[in-house]
Amino acid sequence: MISKRLVPGLLLGTMLATPVSAQDNIEKLTSMQRTDATFTFVEQEGDRAAALRDIIQYINVPDGFEVSLYAVVPDARSMAVAPQGTVTFVGTRKDKVWSVVDRDRNRVADEVMDFAPSITFDIPNGPCFSRDGFLYIAERNRVLVFPAAEFFFEGPDPAVGVVVPEGELIPEEEESFNHTARVCRVGPDGKLYISLGQPYNVQPVEKHEMYDELGIGGIIRIDTDGSNREVYTRGIRNSVGHDFNPENGDLWFTDNQVDGMGDDIPPGELNRQTEAGQHFGFPWTNARVEIPDYKNVPRPEGVEFIEPQLELTAHAADLGMRFYRHSSFPERYHGGIFWAQHGSWNRTTPVGARVMFTALDENGDATDAEIFADGWLNEETGEYRGRPMDIAFLPDGSMLVSDDFAGAIWRIAYNPPPAE
Amino acid sequence: MIRAALVVLGSATLGGVVLAAGALAAGALAAGALADVTGDREIGRQLAGQCRTCHGLDGYAQLPIAPHIGGEPESYIRAQLTAFRDGSREHEIMSIVTSSLSDEQIAGLAAWYAGHEVTVELEADPAAAPAACVACHGADGLHVFEDAPNLAGETNIYIDTQLKAFRSGKRVHEVMTPIAAALTDEEIRAAADWYAAVQIDIDLVE
Repeated sequence: MISKRLVPGLLLGTMLATPVSAQDNIEKLTSMQRTDATFTFVEQEGDRAAALRDIIQYINVPDGFEVSLYAVVPDARSMAVAPQGTVTFVGTRKDKVWSVVDRDRNRVADEVMDFAPSITFDIPNGPCFSRDGFLYIAERNRVLVFPAAEFFFEGPDPAVGVVVPEGELIPEEEESFNHTARVCRVGPDGKLYISLGQPYNVQPVEKHEMYDELGIGGIIRIDTDGSNREVYTRGIRNSVGHDFNPENGDLWFTDNQVDGMGDDIPPGELNRQTEAGQHFGFPWTNARVEIPDYKNVPRPEGVEFIEPQLELTAHAADLGMRFYRHSSFPERYHGGIFWAQHGSWNRTTPVGARVMFTALDENGDATDAEIFADGWLNEETGEYRGRPMDIAFLPDGSMLVSDDFAGAIWRIAYNPPPAE
Repeated sequence: MIRAALVVLGSATLGGVVLAAGALAAGALAAGALADVTGDREIGRQLAGQCRTCHGLDGYAQLPIAPHIGGEPESYIRAQLTAFRDGSREHEIMSIVTSSLSDEQIAGLAAWYAGHEVTVELEADPAAAPAACVACHGADGLHVFEDAPNLAGETNIYIDTQLKAFRSGKRVHEVMTPIAAALTDEEIRAAADWYAAVQIDIDLVE
């Protein structure tokens, strides 16, 4: 290897820098005390923003829609738009949650800064709001709540409470980096629904019963104070997107399929859950494809596996999804589901990096997957320009698409040219 | 090979202990380098098409879960790919991609990625670097020994996750296991933050 150090220095340090204990800060914040934390701001103009705007020319959307750069947001993952729409909280797979602020409502962010810099976050991928304005943040192995976050985000020391203490979402020895991007939603019953990916390609046989009991490879439901934990959804591999149908309360979720079985199997999944406790087949099946490791492992008794509503392009990585509850898009999109395909990582021909859509029929079933927006994958070179990760909507009904590769939030609005 | 250790040894600020550590490092490196010139970089370059979505063609990570591997010691890359293949190290993705690799392919990949030029820049005072780490990983996260990975510029959560894996026994290494066993969560995060803050640049070398 060839390696250079630009700044020569001592090889031996003195001691580990003593960090301000995260636990101490949480104690301070829960008793409304101050810390000396300061904000990190992300530059919204300049070269980075210009380079991102240059990508827009490649993005294809249906007639009448328009793509713009909403914000420069490093590592942007799952999003939660605050009830007033002034600020959108954006999770990452690192240690930051970003506050993306549009004070003048011109649909371009004025300011992007880290939320609650006094707190040491650990993969805070999953922010979600309750209807009364409590922001929940699901991390790798903890869940926090921030009352009135839409107002308190302006200071570095917002009020905070602990919903699930560190180390109690999953056993610490099951922690990994991949498959630990949690997604959180508040259900129609006011409870928190949090997805827990299982930390393997296929979990070892000796672990599947323990995982099933804890909801690892599932979605758990808890009260907003962390009590009454139940496994709501069983038999998932690694879901990184779920949302409730506002019409009937059904829970829908995407799932990522097993790697290493070939380019074209198993298919990606969009699932519909109508009752608590339903089982979606993993690790015995991914859609209708049997997983060889579990061929001879007895299936859970008295359980019928629910098949996906839609079988999707294999390895396109279907992630964040959201129902369209607004009205500024044309009527055919109303009540349907938009979701992000992050894009494949080792498929021979890369696929994905686009926004997908399905309408629902009168029975509440998905009709068919269609491409809504694409072009983030350069199909000539196989290189990504961006990788859509989650979908959210501003109060005006326009769409936000987070992109953790480009480090951006894109906005897609319906702005048809005036009729002649 | 431009050796960082030599530059550091030239610094007037060093004490005797440090010089001894540096000399040891230089010896280990010389031996390692001779043993490691076997991989075919052309084989590695072709296979790297499967790696680049996460690690880049030059070994500069494309997403937080993946480490930077450009300019990593060849022996370290080879050892890790072999460990993933044999199951002694496990990962959702790496266990799959390594399962079908031959020794020759692993050597080729190690040669390809190790051959890029890495530059690191530490802005903080090196005296404040985590003491438990510097002897092998340097204050600036550039490896001092062949078997030690570069840590410069890795996502803090990546380093944090690996240290916790060593502490829990999920990942095993004769040096790292006892070091991690003695660390608290706060010390782990402080070490991870230290190395994550180092600027890293990787230039592709064909």
